[in-house]
Amino acid sequence: MKRGNLIHLLIIVVVTLGVTLGIWGAALAQDVTPIRVGSTLALTGGLAATGKIHQIAGTEFVKLLNERGGLLGRPVEWVLLDDEGTGDKAAAGYERLITAERVDLLVGPYGTAATVAAQGVADRYGYVLPFPAQSLTYNNVYDRQFMAWPTGLDTHISTPGIIFDAYLNTPNPPKTVAFVVSRFPSAQFLVYGRDGVGGAIRVAEEKGLQVVLDISYDLGTTDFTAIALRIRQADPDLLFVGALGEDGPNLMAAMAQLGYRPRGQFYLWPSPGPMLEAGPLAEGATSITAFENNAAYLRNHGAPEFVERFVRAAKEAGLPYTDPEIQAASQWAAWQILVAGVEGCQCLDQAGIAEYIQNNTIPTVFGDLTFDRNQNNVPPDIQAVKQIQNGQWVVVYPDRWAVEGSQLIYPSR
Amino acid sequence: MRWKPLLAALGTAALLAAIPLLQRALGFSVYYLVFLYFIFFWVAQATSWNLFSGYAGMFSFGQVAFLGTGVYTVAILIMRYGWSLPAALPVAAALAGLLAFTVGWIVFRLRSLRGELFSLFTLVVGIGGGYVANSTPWIDGGQGIALTRVGYPALFESMTEYLYYLGLGTAVLAVSVAAAIQYSRLGRGLFAIHDDERVAEGLGVPTFRYKLTAFTINGLLAGLSGGIHAVQMNYVAVDSVFTLHFSLYAILMSVLGGTRHWMGPILGALVIHSLSDRLASAGFSELQQVITGSTLVIIILFMRDGIYGRLRDRLQPTLVLMAVTALVQWLALRPVDGLTLLTITVFVALAMLLLPPAVYDRVAAAWRPRFSSGSGMGSAL
Amino acid sequence: MWDTALSLIQTAIAGVLTGGLYTIISLALSLSWGVLRVINLAHFGLVVLAAYMTYQLTQFGNWNPFVTVLATFPIFLLVGMGLQYFFLRFRIETTPSLLVTFGLFLILENVMKMIWTADFRRISFAKNPYFVSSISVGPLVLPLLLLLVFVVAVVLAVAFHLLFKKTHVGRALRAITQDPAVATAFGVDYERLALAFGGLATATAAVAGVFVGMIYALYPSAAEPWIGISFAVTIMGGLGNPLGALGAGVIIGLVEAMTQRVADPSVARLVSLVLLAIVLLVRPSGLFRPLVPEQ
Repeated sequence: MKRGNLIHLLIIVVVTLGVTLGIWGAALAQDVTPIRVGSTLALTGGLAATGKIHQIAGTEFVKLLNERGGLLGRPVEWVLLDDEGTGDKAAAGYERLITAERVDLLVGPYGTAATVAAQGVADRYGYVLPFPAQSLTYNNVYDRQFMAWPTGLDTHISTPGIIFDAYLNTPNPPKTVAFVVSRFPSAQFLVYGRDGVGGAIRVAEEKGLQVVLDISYDLGTTDFTAIALRIRQADPDLLFVGALGEDGPNLMAAMAQLGYRPRGQFYLWPSPGPMLEAGPLAEGATSITAFENNAAYLRNHGAPEFVERFVRAAKEAGLPYTDPEIQAASQWAAWQILVAGVEGCQCLDQAGIAEYIQNNTIPTVFGDLTFDRNQNNVPPDIQAVKQIQNGQWVVVYPDRWAVEGSQLIYPSR
Repeated sequence: MRWKPLLAALGTAALLAAIPLLQRALGFSVYYLVFLYFIFFWVAQATSWNLFSGYAGMFSFGQVAFLGTGVYTVAILIMRYGWSLPAALPVAAALAGLLAFTVGWIVFRLRSLRGELFSLFTLVVGIGGGYVANSTPWIDGGQGIALTRVGYPALFESMTEYLYYLGLGTAVLAVSVAAAIQYSRLGRGLFAIHDDERVAEGLGVPTFRYKLTAFTINGLLAGLSGGIHAVQMNYVAVDSVFTLHFSLYAILMSVLGGTRHWMGPILGALVIHSLSDRLASAGFSELQQVITGSTLVIIILFMRDGIYGRLRDRLQPTLVLMAVTALVQWLALRPVDGLTLLTITVFVALAMLLLPPAVYDRVAAAWRPRFSSGSGMGSAL
Repeated sequence: MWDTALSLIQTAIAGVLTGGLYTIISLALSLSWGVLRVINLAHFGLVVLAAYMTYQLTQFGNWNPFVTVLATFPIFLLVGMGLQYFFLRFRIETTPSLLVTFGLFLILENVMKMIWTADFRRISFAKNPYFVSSISVGPLVLPLLLLLVFVVAVVLAVAFHLLFKKTHVGRALRAITQDPAVATAFGVDYERLALAFGGLATATAAVAGVFVGMIYALYPSAAEPWIGISFAVTIMGGLGNPLGALGAGVIIGLVEAMTQRVADPSVARLVSLVLLAIVLLVRPSGLFRPLVPEQ
């Protein structure tokens, strides 16, 4: 046999063996453990930065749970798959978890697309699905899904209400507002509403604010120069940005390049860390939250140990920003809901668990949550506004959740 | 007309139709149905792509536009207008076919858009479709569409079963159409275009009509399959529908399997999907994409004709090897689940097919020294 | 009235300057397609890779971001030559090259994902103060980085143009593009030229990468939005025509910027695709003349 062909043959044999053993190994490396809880998360892809926060929170919760004797006296194992932040991979993932992995329980993923897709699958097989958040609340039609983040069913009305009330409560309130919105589904819903009802724009107008600009940009946009130009031209009293992830710092940098600084700026769901890293550019920026590390929230059920364990784990993982906030808390709360349901009915039967959660108040790090099917099982809106003051996030409104003596500072310059 | 492969395929289809019934009786994991649904989906996508691009040799990168049209049509009709799935599917197919017809009508008139420029144009259509869907509130506008509570006929035990049969039906349809075309005058014309379009025209082949027909069929089938897939996806959003991924995988599967035969896309879909499913479930999604990319490179470099031809030549030894591999796994390594067993068996068979002819002939001759008239290796003397 | 005119001019300027960035990113695609007949999709991944390298050296090595090109340019020169060798050896051109480089692009994207993860990476403002700098010309504001990128684009385009028109090597390149057989008969060493030119074209990715790394937040699939625009620039500019690429880049940048004034930014992206589609249908050889006119 020619030498070249021999080498060719050898390479093929070696590679085949390698891949074969690899796949075998992966297939065999499956433990048989008592109670298995399945989820998918955005471990890779555009939403991965937040996905990782959820992963840490969930892992710590399970660790704590097992330290305290597990669930119904049995240890808990979290089977986690990657959905890359997309709906179809989440749907496929949950289907695999239920049918191939045969998990006992489910916890929802992160992100609107993944969550809505997961709900469809859970519905198909009748599984209870507590999940962190999914702001297209009108999609939560499955009766065994339970949302942790308390936005209220009509979040497209109530949440902008909270935000604008915070600003209108200042001595020199804004009169004009500009809207710059990501094409992320829930951001669009929150700002534009649905079927001609609600949305931050209509709420603003009802409260007497004048809308001077309204544009949408693609998810993943990093170059905001053109948008910054239009904002500068409109020169609003308040800039309302339906932002996700890194949009905030990117937009702020673009405005800085043009030498423009808005008098007030609100960012919907930014990654908290990068906002702080933007330094002086971000001073005075506000956002919405349902959990922060302050006295008001630490009174809630499970909050102190959540904070302690998350901070430690985040530091170990080398996260740039280790303060626990709404994202981590929503994952923790989702688990709290699941555990409460299982322990409440003392069973692993999906119907029994669902019934318990439906009919009882569940204490969580967000506060006590109730689930009304008429409200699509979305807990009432108890969110708060936080602001970057002196390089730190501080909850400023309403008083129930605010830091003692803090105020919303407006205008910024 | 080659009857044997066709009969084998139909027999397989009948067997596949029985699997859900087996599942009901024996109670093994429903996941097999899900896995097979995806195989059917990819077979339909790759076959529909291949019966134009593979046969005629004009590589369309716009498959995702047809798929996306099908997906969104079904999603909008069901969720916004309350249609049922069986009613929405023909519309989805028709609209995708119309898109293909329109694009084809414009593009095929122009001689200047041959070869890579055609590919580029279809790439633009694919990407553009996504932007249009994103910017048009009536279609998507950014909020996506959730397919909640879609009903299925009482005949089926679950939505999973329903999707399984819909997917199987579409795959069988696509393959039948591709086979029918292959052995018809249309097919011969397309192959002639593949070899040299100008010569084909000179010989009297109605190139414009043939290309348009095949391209439209491509759109119709892709739209139909896409419409069904919308229900599987549950939540339809521009990000997950209009990705280059769908176009690329349809191309890859057909090229891997072999573009000149209807069997090619089936083989390609089986190999690529089982590998990607197993790797994804083990958490290696990046590695899986690297392997996919490498496979494409290797195939183009070394085996531009795909594996079908080699499979035909090496059929018996390959089947024997597959049986042996499956048996070994079954006996020696418990517990191994069915899908992993299948994937490894497929992969080993693939390795066998990838052996270059010289090496293979050597190995085959060494294995059967008794036969004096070797099949093709007689010249070893 | 004056305000509107002023903001119009401001928008136009931003558009033209951004066109410079489009040009630099697309230059290699146009050159390798026009001269070497290879449609290199992997190039986009290489630009992102170069940007990651700039990020890595600046953020963790404390290099000045501009200086990183001194390190990345030679690396990509070699990578380009390696790629070209690969294409020559396997005789890969046009459509097969599209597929092969697509495969390479996929590999590259995922390797980058494995190394740098899917998180967004951005050079901190502290290490990249150029990002917020701008030059004021009267009431107009010119972002510094965009200005620089435009200047570099012009320099590169002119340099390649002069290479083609005025030098011996350039004439030889044009000859092999037109008719490789005849050129070889006249003593042109096709292989060596192709290797060198391929390397040079890919090395422009290093230059593009520096600016991309400084202006944008990086993630592994950051290249994908560029694909449509780069093809638009390449086709409109005429294959292999560096000045044409510059012109096309500016036109596209300008039209996009103007569109963004009146419509959503996502509609603006559709603009470059529509332009490309129209050019493909009406005048596929490009708005400007290709390096070598079609037979």
